[in-house]
Amino acid sequence: MAENTAVKNESKEAQLAKASRMNMIRSILPVVGLVGIFLLFNILTGGGMVKSKNLLLSQVYVTVISAMGVFFIMTMGGLDFSQGSIMGMASIAVCMLSKYNIVLAILGGILTGAVIGAFNGFFYVNRKIKSFIVTICSMFLFRGVIKYLASDAPVAASMKVYDFDNMPFKLTLTLIVLVIGFVIFRFTKFGMYLKAIGAGEKAAMFAGIRTDRMKFLIYVLSGAITGLAAFLNVAKNGSATANAGNQLETQILIALVLGGMPISGGAKVRFSNIIVGSMLYVVLQNGLQMMGMSVQIQQLIQGVVFLVFVAIFADRQSLKVIK
Amino acid sequence: MSEVRLQVQNLCKTFGITKAVQNVSFNINKGEVHALIGENGSGKSTLTNMLTGIYSIDSGTFILDGKEIHPRNQVEANKEGVSIIVQELGTLDGLTVAENIFLGHEDMFVKFGIKNTNAMNRRATELLHQYGFDKIKASDPIENYNFEDRKLVEIVKATYFNPKIVVIDETTTALSQEGREELYKHMNRIRAEGNTVIFISHDLPEILDKSDTITILRDGVYIDTIKSADVDEDGLKKLMVGREVSGAYYRADYGEKISDEVVLSVKNVTVPGLIKNVNFDLHKGEILGFGGLSESGMHEIGKAIFGASYDREGSVTLADGTQINDIPTAIKHSIAYTSKDRDNESIVMNQSIGDNIVLPSLDDLANSAHLLSDKKLKEFANKFAVEMSVKMVNTDQFVSDLSGGNKQKVVLARWIGKDSDIVVLDSPTRGIDIKVKQDIYQLMDQMRKNGKSIIMISEELMELIGMCDRILIMKDGELNGELDRSPELNENLLISKMV
Repeated sequence: MAENTAVKNESKEAQLAKASRMNMIRSILPVVGLVGIFLLFNILTGGGMVKSKNLLLSQVYVTVISAMGVFFIMTMGGLDFSQGSIMGMASIAVCMLSKYNIVLAILGGILTGAVIGAFNGFFYVNRKIKSFIVTICSMFLFRGVIKYLASDAPVAASMKVYDFDNMPFKLTLTLIVLVIGFVIFRFTKFGMYLKAIGAGEKAAMFAGIRTDRMKFLIYVLSGAITGLAAFLNVAKNGSATANAGNQLETQILIALVLGGMPISGGAKVRFSNIIVGSMLYVVLQNGLQMMGMSVQIQQLIQGVVFLVFVAIFADRQSLKVIK
Repeated sequence: MSEVRLQVQNLCKTFGITKAVQNVSFNINKGEVHALIGENGSGKSTLTNMLTGIYSIDSGTFILDGKEIHPRNQVEANKEGVSIIVQELGTLDGLTVAENIFLGHEDMFVKFGIKNTNAMNRRATELLHQYGFDKIKASDPIENYNFEDRKLVEIVKATYFNPKIVVIDETTTALSQEGREELYKHMNRIRAEGNTVIFISHDLPEILDKSDTITILRDGVYIDTIKSADVDEDGLKKLMVGREVSGAYYRADYGEKISDEVVLSVKNVTVPGLIKNVNFDLHKGEILGFGGLSESGMHEIGKAIFGASYDREGSVTLADGTQINDIPTAIKHSIAYTSKDRDNESIVMNQSIGDNIVLPSLDDLANSAHLLSDKKLKEFANKFAVEMSVKMVNTDQFVSDLSGGNKQKVVLARWIGKDSDIVVLDSPTRGIDIKVKQDIYQLMDQMRKNGKSIIMISEELMELIGMCDRILIMKDGELNGELDRSPELNENLLISKMV
């Protein structure tokens, strides 16, 4: 009998070892992918990618900052498709306010994002509508408002915003945002609560987490973060067009999934998913462009890569909890 | 000598590298209730799930009335004459009662490719009438009915076609006394008709009372098959555990005086549709029991105290005057709660053991800057997981892999870690094997001696009688009597107040 128990324990350990190997692969694969794709494109373009690293970096900032907010939302099992429209609305606010004062413009962008986030949060939490439905609705709703405001002519920003279109500023701001996000997510109860909600909302509530309040606040926070990123977007472009921020939501979603984020959130998310994923996405996109591929082929390849990564990282046990 | 109905031969099943069932062989006869017992993870459900086509068979055979069967799903199993009533909900939301009963067998009512819903409803109504469940309407959506009534629908679904074998997998633990009686009635009918019931339960007195033959499994290995008449409870325990289960099961003391100090007082608490105007006090160091039928409202009492009831009226007040109206306040003031619905409400399933244990204690574990250290969290989780002897490799293991008893230990470890003074346990031993049950009873006794106050809500009358200082009985949402601890208490006394 003792023999049997020993066999059972051993097999259990072997099983766990296997599971942790899988986890290892999952966490290493995105990094390996990033390095691999970077090297590949450098070879194919004769080192073109290294030469244009500033151009590459300049595209990462906005994606990586906005992706952090969506990362929080997805960790607790939600989705957000309204990020592009939030970016557009906040960019218009930044442009308009930049004529008065730059600090006011930054705050105005953040506030605009937070208000739209609160709009999402209200319908998601209080009216109990699934998050992807709510955010798809607000994506269209606010895209409509953007078109109304910016169709005739792009909303121009004050020339002063160009002062902030330099690498040291943008890099520093991005790093500060990421470090704050990392510390809060990793070393305070905030991150643990988010993961618990993603892994089992009802049980999280019974463990004393104010789940409804958390869910609402996360949407507000995510909106605010994207509102901040809108300033960097305006600094780069100098104006906000009717297409400002268009398809940002898809870029973020692809970036996070490329970074190894399980689409249902929960306990297996890692903060590094944001950074690795955003970089992987930008390298992939630019690489394809430098290769001289048409937009259609680029989208096709992106779609295939996206699908492969989702298939690898989907946590099939908890897929049903997407809210 | 009765005839053999089912031969189980050299059956094996592995999950990954875990051997869930190892080379099991035994026979089951016609016209008997054949109980299958063993601790959690002994392979009972794996075996019956293979028989009913839920799992595939790795190797070995089932021979039913001399013919080898390989059902690939439940519908095929039904066609072979095998059906199952599962432990949790086995009916599907979004379908009517009739559609649930005939799920997978709709062909009976299909003519020229069109389903005749009226004929299906008529047939279902006939069946429900036959079974005496006239309160259930065939055309109603199933979600109009509560857990108990849905189980009745499952009884119809699993038995209306006179299957040769009906598997009843730990169904009784989730049912009230009333529902159990209904189930026993049908078990007896099936046996009288010459068919076979395979009965899985953790409730040993129930097993001894209701079954003719008992097969014991341990760690996936066949141990023995015996006649119920030839064995007693202690004998069964010994066979299940593989050693003598020594020491007292329940607490042994009587006549201890309960402290006068009131730690929690519940005044005029009403939850619309569930409980009406409930008043009681909880004293320091007492175990206060709540008994009643499943629908008596007693499960809502636990939620009401914990601040988890929606729309609660009346007040729940602590000794210092604090009002408890929501869960975070309850936890902050040292109230703990374990739900009857363990997998949804007690435990965060897709998270590690460690995270589950530290979750309510994060505020206490954070430093002055509200920062948490991994090392501290890990030590904390490990300390209480070990204290509760959770069977695990380490605290990073996910709780979804654990057995029911181990999950309950994780929940208890969480609240012991929080050092809660008032502990509300709703059905703490539901679906849990005797070894863990004994651990939980000992823990409760220890907590009581340490001055903690416990509310135990349970459908198992014996554990209420065995553990509680006072038992409050609920009926139709109201308190219907109070019984003090005494060796003279018996189940009938409690039942008389429940119905």
